[in-house]
Amino acid sequence: MENILSVLIFFPLVAAMLGFVVKKDSIRVYGITVAAIEFLLTLWLWFSFDTANGGFQFIEFVPLISDFGINYYLGVDGISLFIIVMAALMTLLGIVALGENIKDLKNMIITLLFLEVAMIGVFVSLDAIIFYLFWEFSLVPMLYIIGAWGGEKRLYAAIKFFIYTFAGSLIMLVGMLYIAYVYQSVAGVWSFSLTDWYALVLPISVQKWLFWAFFLGFAIKVPMFPFHTWLPYAHGQAPTVGSVILAAVLLKMGTYGFVRFSLPLFPDASVAYILPVAVIAIIMIIYTAMVAYAQKDMKQVIAYSSISHMGVIMLGVFAMNPEGITGSVFFMLSHGLVSGALFLLVGVIYDRRHTKMMSEFGGLASVMPKYAVIFGIILMASVGLPLTMGFVGEYLSLAGFFKVSPVLTLLGGFSIILGAVYMLSLYKKSFFGPVTKEENKKLHDLTGRELAALVPLVAIVIWLGIYPKPVLVPIDNSVKALVAFMDQKAQTPEAKRIIHVSRSTKEAK
Amino acid sequence: MIGLSHYLILSAILFSIGLVGVIRRRNLLMLFFATEIMLNAANIAFAALSSYMHDLSGQMFAFFIIAVAASEVAVGLGLLILLYKKYGSLDLDDYTMLRG
Amino acid sequence: METLVYIALFAPLVGSLFAALFGMRPKTLWTGVVTSLLLFVSFLASAMLLKHVYTVGAVHAELMDWIVAGDMRVPFGFTVDEVTAVMMTVVTLVSTVVHIYSNGYMEHDKGFNRFFSYLSAFVFSMLVLVMSDNFLGLFIGWEGVGVCSWLLIGFWYHKPDVGRDVNPSISPSWAANEAFIMNRIADLGMLIGIFLIYWNVGSLNYQEFFAAVPQLSHGMLVLIGIMLFIGAMGKSAQFPLHTWLADAMEGPTPVSALIHAATMVTAGVYLVIRAHPLYSEIPEVSYFIAVLGTFVAIFAASMALVNRDLKRIIAYSTLSQLGYMFAAAGLGAYWVALFHLAAHAFFKALLFLGAGNVMHAMNDELDIFKMGGLKKVMRWTYTYMGVASLALAGIWPFAGFYSKDTILEAAFNEQSYGIWFVLWLTAGLTAFYSFRLVFLTFLSDERYKQYGFHPHEVQKYVLWAMFPLGLLAVIFGWWKEEFMAFVTRLLPAYEMSEHTEHMVWILIIVTMAIAIGGIVVAYIMYAKRLRRNERIEQSLPYRILSNQYYIPIFYEKAFAKPYAELSDIAWKEIDQQVVDATVDGIARVIEETGDGTRRMQTGNLSDYLKWMAAGALILAVLAIIVAMNH
Repeated sequence: MENILSVLIFFPLVAAMLGFVVKKDSIRVYGITVAAIEFLLTLWLWFSFDTANGGFQFIEFVPLISDFGINYYLGVDGISLFIIVMAALMTLLGIVALGENIKDLKNMIITLLFLEVAMIGVFVSLDAIIFYLFWEFSLVPMLYIIGAWGGEKRLYAAIKFFIYTFAGSLIMLVGMLYIAYVYQSVAGVWSFSLTDWYALVLPISVQKWLFWAFFLGFAIKVPMFPFHTWLPYAHGQAPTVGSVILAAVLLKMGTYGFVRFSLPLFPDASVAYILPVAVIAIIMIIYTAMVAYAQKDMKQVIAYSSISHMGVIMLGVFAMNPEGITGSVFFMLSHGLVSGALFLLVGVIYDRRHTKMMSEFGGLASVMPKYAVIFGIILMASVGLPLTMGFVGEYLSLAGFFKVSPVLTLLGGFSIILGAVYMLSLYKKSFFGPVTKEENKKLHDLTGRELAALVPLVAIVIWLGIYPKPVLVPIDNSVKALVAFMDQKAQTPEAKRIIHVSRSTKEAK
Repeated sequence: MIGLSHYLILSAILFSIGLVGVIRRRNLLMLFFATEIMLNAANIAFAALSSYMHDLSGQMFAFFIIAVAASEVAVGLGLLILLYKKYGSLDLDDYTMLRG
Repeated sequence: METLVYIALFAPLVGSLFAALFGMRPKTLWTGVVTSLLLFVSFLASAMLLKHVYTVGAVHAELMDWIVAGDMRVPFGFTVDEVTAVMMTVVTLVSTVVHIYSNGYMEHDKGFNRFFSYLSAFVFSMLVLVMSDNFLGLFIGWEGVGVCSWLLIGFWYHKPDVGRDVNPSISPSWAANEAFIMNRIADLGMLIGIFLIYWNVGSLNYQEFFAAVPQLSHGMLVLIGIMLFIGAMGKSAQFPLHTWLADAMEGPTPVSALIHAATMVTAGVYLVIRAHPLYSEIPEVSYFIAVLGTFVAIFAASMALVNRDLKRIIAYSTLSQLGYMFAAAGLGAYWVALFHLAAHAFFKALLFLGAGNVMHAMNDELDIFKMGGLKKVMRWTYTYMGVASLALAGIWPFAGFYSKDTILEAAFNEQSYGIWFVLWLTAGLTAFYSFRLVFLTFLSDERYKQYGFHPHEVQKYVLWAMFPLGLLAVIFGWWKEEFMAFVTRLLPAYEMSEHTEHMVWILIIVTMAIAIGGIVVAYIMYAKRLRRNERIEQSLPYRILSNQYYIPIFYEKAFAKPYAELSDIAWKEIDQQVVDATVDGIARVIEETGDGTRRMQTGNLSDYLKWMAAGALILAVLAIIVAMNH
């Protein structure tokens, strides 16, 4: 399959279109089948991926508007490969976990398939315009999911989500157009191909402006402090599946953007702005961890904890060495799986009690032991316990950033303390203590459908915690190539000093 | 000696008269006249510049404008008559259906 | 030999997973039996490894790669050398005893299977901790024992929170969270230490790090030493991170015996011993460790003097003994620290298990003021606890005598007379509070009768299970010379100066004198009957001691509460009132601008024409300005 990437994009698209004519009572099976096939296709992509090769693979190139250098240009490397696999997996599990009592199941499944198209499109695009198209397109299904299936304030939340992220990405679009303009004035032809842009050495002053233009687009998506306030509303109002996908995949688009665009395009500016970015990241880590601790609503705790963890990912991205960047990419995956699982778990209890307030619970461990066990494992992964997936990414991200600034890493390391504080207090309030509320005494434990969605996640979280190598090595190869490229391209002595190429890369030369 | 600037000044004066008419007048018919004056102001400027620069395209534009203005008046007047028949007035202040 | 390493390591894990399979079912006897057997297998393998290390030498095994990124390569590597072999044997021996004991102790608990699953998982984590050949592997075990400790302290999670005046630990789940979070604070220090090692040495392997120690600058070594020690402080509950240990007594008593006395809390001491090539290079940090250990020794002992809670007294004594170990390690007498660690593991586990018997007999009553005279019904338990207390007090010829006395000699030898004096004084206090506990529980008047308890001795097999510990608490010290010869193959030998050699007998006599003195005082005060003095109990020093120097309350007032309030402010005031309000404010400005300018849309054509004319005029003016500038 030469054009597996196109298949990955168009298969769910076609399936979603066909979904309109599928009968209502067979739509669940249809949706699960389509998502499962898509997931298997991504697995196939992984197995036929050459892990030793750090560059782009499965490249497809079809000229669209040649005069302006806009092409249908796709490809994956180790950095994007696993995010694609994760996106397909989370869509599948999200559809599996859809409750019986959800209204308009058909529309929901079709929307999710459209969303999958957009998510996979973002991570396989190597052309800025195609990337931007998918990037913006991903907003629409999510807007619909929040707006149609959300809670009481769903319209406010949906519109805030849409306009906020949209405003940010428009500024990014201006940045993209400007790079294309610079490229045109240097090379004489228009091009929006990322690989062409990589070759472009921009003057430092231009890099600095462009860095902030892209920063706004990505930072709102991540979301970085102080652009994060849309996220609690979106999570608070979105249905379970919406939160799962939002936390697992959509947020990763922001951090992925930093790795894919900001670092290789503006190496000098990225190095120059390590300090402000790291300070924002640390504010995210500490401040949102505190806000998470103050929450009364389980889902909001997890929403804020997402922001806090994204702060650690940001530190890893700006570590400028393979350890940190590999760690941050791995952390994107682990955070995707773990926070996705946490949102699924909150959805479980919400389905039963129609409330997410911690004060409504207490003693759930005695009533729902299986639920408590799975929640406990995922919680430990979220807190970053060794031998779960959460540790590897958090450890590597912090270890990488330590090279840049030990003091800031110490502050960022508060993540492991404060994470334990809010997560354990959530667990204590909801699961420990006596069962105080009468209606909690008769709650039934996890059903088969819920287990089917959760057990794979638990298995992966533990498997990749014990043996992360199959995932780490391909990521690492691509990241090493990226860092070596940045080092080569860097102009300022400061950037040359801070960008740290691994020994193995140096020896290879 | 009458030079280019005289024509242009005449054109500007005519245009200003038309503009004031457009702004001040309330009657739609008067508005029409005012726009015609403005169009003709432009025509004068075109013709004068055309002769000054020895380039016929200016005069060509002037003819175009005359033709367009004529057809416009034909259509416009028809519409006006319809409007008058329907609402019994040509006063602009009576037509505020598009208020925001 | 690698097979033996893996058997020793994975047998407890297999047991844990096996028990976990039945974790949600009611008690099934064989989960207890199977896990105990697997633990025994692990013990046998450890003992064989000990013999192998003794006769042949260290064993190294590498399972597979764990984290590979950039230049970092961390495998699951295991080394069994002299120190590890000793630790493994101690850990698996005590664990086996505790497992068998728990079969009886947890007999009627509905979480029986779950308990064994956690307990075996703990042993696995502890073995990972001591067997790893690199710092990150140690960190796996380090966090693993932390989680198991969290699970086991909070084992009776269904109990509600109560006020501090009713139960100083509030509730099992509260104590569990406290322990976990306190440990996490220290773990951050340790993690920073690991980062420092990685970026300065390029490897986390012990051997490579120790080989690189001479090349590193002194300042860097000091920093690494401090950071690693911060980690050790958390796990070994050193001041100021000590409060969790006493609260951890909320867990079932076998847990206290295994985790919070014999094994996990000694992990910090193990780390310092393991990193001795580092700490030998930085005497100032080592001296600080010794001073802190000494301080904790007397600090904890003072709190034990007045406490009425059976388990808390033993917990404070554990804390105090950990102080001794750190003092020894800090003074450079690493093998002595390890020796005391092993001896302490035996007699302290025994003491805790004995306390468990008492609790069992007394329906989980912990107040020793409500006991007394239990000797008649619990002769065996009395003997065990008496032996353990004699060992703890350091009476010849019990195990504690040899180890503790050597620590005092080392302190004297280093001419740290201050440290020596404080430790000497603590030895007296230790003897006093240990026997205060024994006398108030087993001798004196039978106060329990007025509270309506019907104590009874525990099952025979439980008592037999405790026998190995009882035996070791007596005879372990006799092997001091052999032990020293064995572990100093790896650890630096510690030579006493000639001056000390001359003084040894005097030192021993002085130490024995204060220990026996302590016992005698306890005997006079408590052996006949409980004498309470209202005036003393109301006095300020007494209240300070019984409230643990008000440190838990201080922590709550100074850290926990302000953090919660600050969090609330961060959410309600900053996040909602400032950050989000700004965003909404921007949106509102745009909306209101739109709303305001809507009035331009009058619907009147001539108004539109005016706007158009104005716009055209502005554009014309702009065009003219631009044209003039060119």
